[in-house]
Amino acid sequence: MFEARMAQATVLKRVLEAVKDMVNEGNFDCSEEGICLQAMDVAHVSLVNVLLRGQGFEMFRCDRNLALGIQLANLSKVLNCAGKDDAVTIKAEDEGADTAEFMFESAKGDRITTFELTLMDIDSEHLGVPEDTTYTAVIKMPSNEFRRIISDLSTIGDTVTIEVSKDGASFQVAGDIGKGNLCIQSNTSADKPSDRVEITMEEPTKQTYAMRYLTFFTKAAPLSDTVTISLSPDVPLVVEFNIGEEVGFVKYYLAPKITEGDLE
Amino acid sequence: MGIKGLTKLLGDHAPGAIKDVELKSLFGRKVAIDASMSIYQFLVAVRQAGGDSLTNDAGDVTSHLSGLFHRTVRLMEMGIKPVYVFDGAPPEMKSGELQKRTEAKAAAKAAAAKAVEEGNAELAEKYTRRVNSVTPAMTADCKTLLRAMGVPVVEAPCEAEAQCAAMAKAGLVYAMASEDMDSLTFGTPILIRQMWAGARAGADKKGVKPMTFNLEAALSGLDMTMDQFVDVCILCGCDYTDSIKGIGPTKALALVRKYGDLSAVINALKGEGKYSIPDPFPVEEVRELFLSPKVADPAGLTLKWGEVDEAGLKALLVEQSQFKEETVTSGIARIRKSMKNSTQGRLDSFFKPVPGAAASSGGTKRKGGPGGKAASTAGKGKAAAPKKAKK
Repeated sequence: MFEARMAQATVLKRVLEAVKDMVNEGNFDCSEEGICLQAMDVAHVSLVNVLLRGQGFEMFRCDRNLALGIQLANLSKVLNCAGKDDAVTIKAEDEGADTAEFMFESAKGDRITTFELTLMDIDSEHLGVPEDTTYTAVIKMPSNEFRRIISDLSTIGDTVTIEVSKDGASFQVAGDIGKGNLCIQSNTSADKPSDRVEITMEEPTKQTYAMRYLTFFTKAAPLSDTVTISLSPDVPLVVEFNIGEEVGFVKYYLAPKITEGDLE
Repeated sequence: MGIKGLTKLLGDHAPGAIKDVELKSLFGRKVAIDASMSIYQFLVAVRQAGGDSLTNDAGDVTSHLSGLFHRTVRLMEMGIKPVYVFDGAPPEMKSGELQKRTEAKAAAKAAAAKAVEEGNAELAEKYTRRVNSVTPAMTADCKTLLRAMGVPVVEAPCEAEAQCAAMAKAGLVYAMASEDMDSLTFGTPILIRQMWAGARAGADKKGVKPMTFNLEAALSGLDMTMDQFVDVCILCGCDYTDSIKGIGPTKALALVRKYGDLSAVINALKGEGKYSIPDPFPVEEVRELFLSPKVADPAGLTLKWGEVDEAGLKALLVEQSQFKEETVTSGIARIRKSMKNSTQGRLDSFFKPVPGAAASSGGTKRKGGPGGKAASTAGKGKAAAPKKAKK
C-alpha cells in the first residue's frame, strides 16, 4: 500500500508544470525515501530528476517500492481540478494496481474530489547520474532572474553560451537579427538572501547550450526562490531548484553543444 | 527478402527485443541505411495521383530522387546522421533467389498488362508497382544526389545489409536501417525497421513509428548463441538456400534447440527421412556468408557529413529532373539548419543506463512479464526478481 498526503496540492501542481512540457510520460518511483521521477525528453538531450522526500509530506506510507507509470498530460488534467489551498492524498495498491487515486480536499473540508488515474506500463531507461562531479563554475541566483534572462535571450537566438570568469557570468546569444550579451555579477549583500547572486568559480568556464531546453527548465521557477546552475567543460549542465527547506528538488541536466572540432 | 517468419518468431519468443520508438529518439545517432532497398521502396511508394511514377520532361522516372531527397532531409532535421550503403555484386549463392525475383517481376508485368486489358484499374496499379526495378542509372543518380547533400555514401563489396551490420558491429554507426530481417543474422546489434514510414510527413499524427530490433535481447530471449541464431535463420529460409518444405520458424527453433546446431539438425532430418532436404544444402557455406560476409573493413571507412553542394543539387534536381526550385531551395535551407543543430550532444553519451537502479520499476508491472528491455539492461529482470520474491 502506498499513501501520501501533501497539505498543499499546489506543490505537486508546480512540479508537474516543471516537467510536463519537457517529457511526456514517466515512472514515479515510490519508496520509503519518497517519490522520485527521472525522465528524459524524447531526443535524449536533457534529463529531469525530481525528488519529493517522504518527510516533506504530512503523511507518507510506502510498504513496498512501486513505480507509478503516468502520462504527464493526464496527471496535469487531474491536478488542474485541485483548488489553490487544497490538500492532496495519493493512494495506490501494491500489486497489480492499474490506477492511482488522487483525492483533493478543500481547506475547510467541505469539498472532496477523487480521481482514479489510469497507470501505464512505461519502459524507461534509468540513467546513472554521477553524484560526485565537481563543477568548475556555479551560479546561484534568484530563479525569477534566471527565468527572465532565458526568456529575453531566447527571442534572439536558439543557443546560449554561458561564460563564467572573474568578471562575473555572461550569457551570450547570436541570431539572425544580431548578437546579445547579458552580464551578471555576484551580489552577496542583498537584504533578502533569496535576492543574492553568488558566482563561484574554480576556473574560467565557457560552454554552449540549446535555449529550447533551458526554457523548459525555467518552468520550475515558481517552485523555488533561487536556482543553482553548475557547469564544467564537456559535461552536462545542471540546473537545480530546491523545494522548501527539506521537501525535495527538481534537477535538470542538459548535454552541452559539442564544438565543431569534436564532431566526428 | 530476408528470413521467413523471423519477426513473428521474435515477437513470440523474445518480445523484449522489439520496441516501437519515436524517430526523434534517434536524435544525434549515426544510422547506416540499406540504400538499394530504400531506393526500391521509394520507387514503389512515391507516386502521383493515378499511380504513375514521377517523371521528368524526358519521361525518366524520378520517384526515387524525390523520395530520397525529402526523406533524407527529414531524417537530418530529426538530428539523425544517415550513411547510405549500396549493394555491390550479389554473392553467387543468391542467384537462385534473384532468378525467382526476376521471374516474379515478369509475371507481374504480364499480370499488369492483362489487368489493363480487362480494365481493372486497381489490379493494374497493384501489378504495375511490382514491375519496378532499380536501374544502374537510378543508383548512380542517387549517389550523386547524396554526395551533393553532403551525406556519406559507402559502396559495399557485396551485400549492403552485411556491410551496414559490420559498421554497426564496429560501433561506426549506432544502428542500421533496413526492412530485411537478415540484417540481424548478419549481426547488427540494432536494426531499425519502418524508418522511412516514420520519416514521412504526417507520420507522427498517424502514429506510425519505426521499430527497433535488439540482437542481444533477441539472443537472450531465444536463449541461444549467435551461431545457433544463424542456424535458426537458415532453417527458417533465407536468400541463399531453398527452404526445407514443412519447416517453419517455430519448428526451426525447436530443432536447433533440440540438436544444438544446424549440421546435427540436417543429419537428424535426413535420418528421419520425413522432409526433403534441398540438394545441395551447403550448411557451412551459408553460415560463412552470414558470420563472415564479404565486407569492406569498417576500420578503413571514415564517415563525414559535409557541406551541401547547392549548384550540384540544383543541376540534378531542378535542371535534370524538373523539381520545383523552391522545393529544392527550402530543402537545402533545412539541411543547413540541421547541420548547425548537429552539434548538440546526447545526454546518454554522458550518463550511462544503470541496470540495478531501474529495479524499483519492476514492482508493479501491469502487463507482460518483467521488463525485458534493451539488452544492455538485461540485468534489470534479474535485479527486479528478489523484490518479486519478497511479495
